[in-house]
Amino acid sequence: MPVDKDTMIEAIDVNKEYRRAGAIIRALADVNLTIKSGDFVLVQGPTGCGKSTLLNVLSGIDLPDSGKIIFDGENIARAQEARLSKLRRQKIGFVFQDFNLIPTLTAIENVAALLWPTVLRDKEIENRAIAALRDVNLLERKDHYPVQMSGGEKQRCGLARAIIHRPRVILADEPTGNLDPESEKQVMDLLKHINKDMETTIIVVTHRGSLASYANKIVKMEKGAIIKIQ
Amino acid sequence: MMVLREKKQFTVFCLMYTFLIFWTSYSIELVIKTQSLWFANTSFFIALFIGIFLSLLYAWLIVKRNSKTIATLKCIGWTNKDINSLISGFILFTTFMGFFIIVEVLFHYVAFLGYFYATNPTVFGTPYYIENLALVNLLPVFVTFTIFLFFQILAILLANRKILKVRPIIALKKVGA
Repeated sequence: MPVDKDTMIEAIDVNKEYRRAGAIIRALADVNLTIKSGDFVLVQGPTGCGKSTLLNVLSGIDLPDSGKIIFDGENIARAQEARLSKLRRQKIGFVFQDFNLIPTLTAIENVAALLWPTVLRDKEIENRAIAALRDVNLLERKDHYPVQMSGGEKQRCGLARAIIHRPRVILADEPTGNLDPESEKQVMDLLKHINKDMETTIIVVTHRGSLASYANKIVKMEKGAIIKIQ
Repeated sequence: MMVLREKKQFTVFCLMYTFLIFWTSYSIELVIKTQSLWFANTSFFIALFIGIFLSLLYAWLIVKRNSKTIATLKCIGWTNKDINSLISGFILFTTFMGFFIIVEVLFHYVAFLGYFYATNPTVFGTPYYIENLALVNLLPVFVTFTIFLFFQILAILLANRKILKVRPIIALKKVGA
C-alpha cells in the first residue's frame, strides 16, 4: 500500500483485546487513524475508552492483535523487540504522567540517559542534554535530583529527555495529569513550541477538554473505537 | 555511578559479600591448615550455600526494585542487551567492592600486627614470621573470589531472564492503578 509522504503514523483496522479477570475487554475496535507529520493530536475520551492502548500500539510498546501500524513508512505491528527499541530511540520521545525519572540520577543525567547506550561521546551527550534542558527552561536545575524538583519541573525534565534525540514524534500519556494549572500551561506551551519549532509530531492522550486549543486534530474515543476526528 | 547511588541496597549487599568472602576464605585456610577438617568443610559449604543464595537474591531484588526504571529505559529505546549490561555491572561491581574491602582489611591486619610485634619485641620475646601473622593468606581469598564470580554469572543469567520479562508497558501504568 503506498503511503502518503506526509503521513507519520497510520493505524489500519487495528484491534486489541485484553483478558481481565476472565472477561475479554475490547480495548481497540477496528481503529483507523492517520497522523500527518507536524500534527498536534489530542486523543480524548473517558477513562477506559482505549486511548492509552492506542498510544501504546502506535509507539510499538504494545502490539495489536490484528491490523497494521505504519510508522514512518514501516509496519511495526509485527516487528521484533530489538527493532522497536531502535525505532523508539531514534524516532520517538515519551512523556509520562508519573514523569518516570530515575530517582538516583540528577536532571541532566536523566536527560542524558537516553543516549548512554549510543556511540556518542560523553561530551556530546552532555552538550545535547544541556541544550535540551535549556529548551525547557530547566538548565538551572540540572544538578538537582527528582526529589528536589516540583511536579512541573519533573515533567519539564521528562520533556527534555523526550527531545534530546530530536525525535520525529513525541507521545505523551496524560502529561499534565499530575500538575497544577500553571505547570500544565507551561508544559503544554512547551509541547506546542516543540511542535512548531522542531516540526515534531505530538500525540497527547488526555481526558481534559481544556487542552483542545493546543491541537490541530482532536480524536475522540469511546469503548475502544474512534467516534469523531475533528 | 548508578549502583553507588543505590546506597542502602549497595552497602548492605557489599558488606554481606565482604563477610561471606572472609568466611569462605577463612574456611579454605582452615582446610589447608587442616586444624579441624570436619569443622572447616562444614563451614566452607555453609558459606558457599549462603553465597549462592545471596547472589541470586541480589539479582532478583535489583530487577524487582527497578522494574519501573527498566520499563522506562525500554520505552526510551534501551534494548534488553543495554539493560543487561547495566544490571551485570551492578552485580559485578558490588562483588568486586566486597573483594577489595576484604583484601584491604587483611593487609591492614597483617601490617598492624607486624608493626605491633616489631615495636614491642620484649612483650612477646619470640621471633615472628609474617606468614604466621596473616589471618587468611591471599590464595584462599583469590580462590573464594573466583567461586563468587561464578555465582555472579549465575545471578546475571537470572537477572537477564527477569529483564526479558519486564514489559515496557509497565512504565505507563499509573501509580496506584
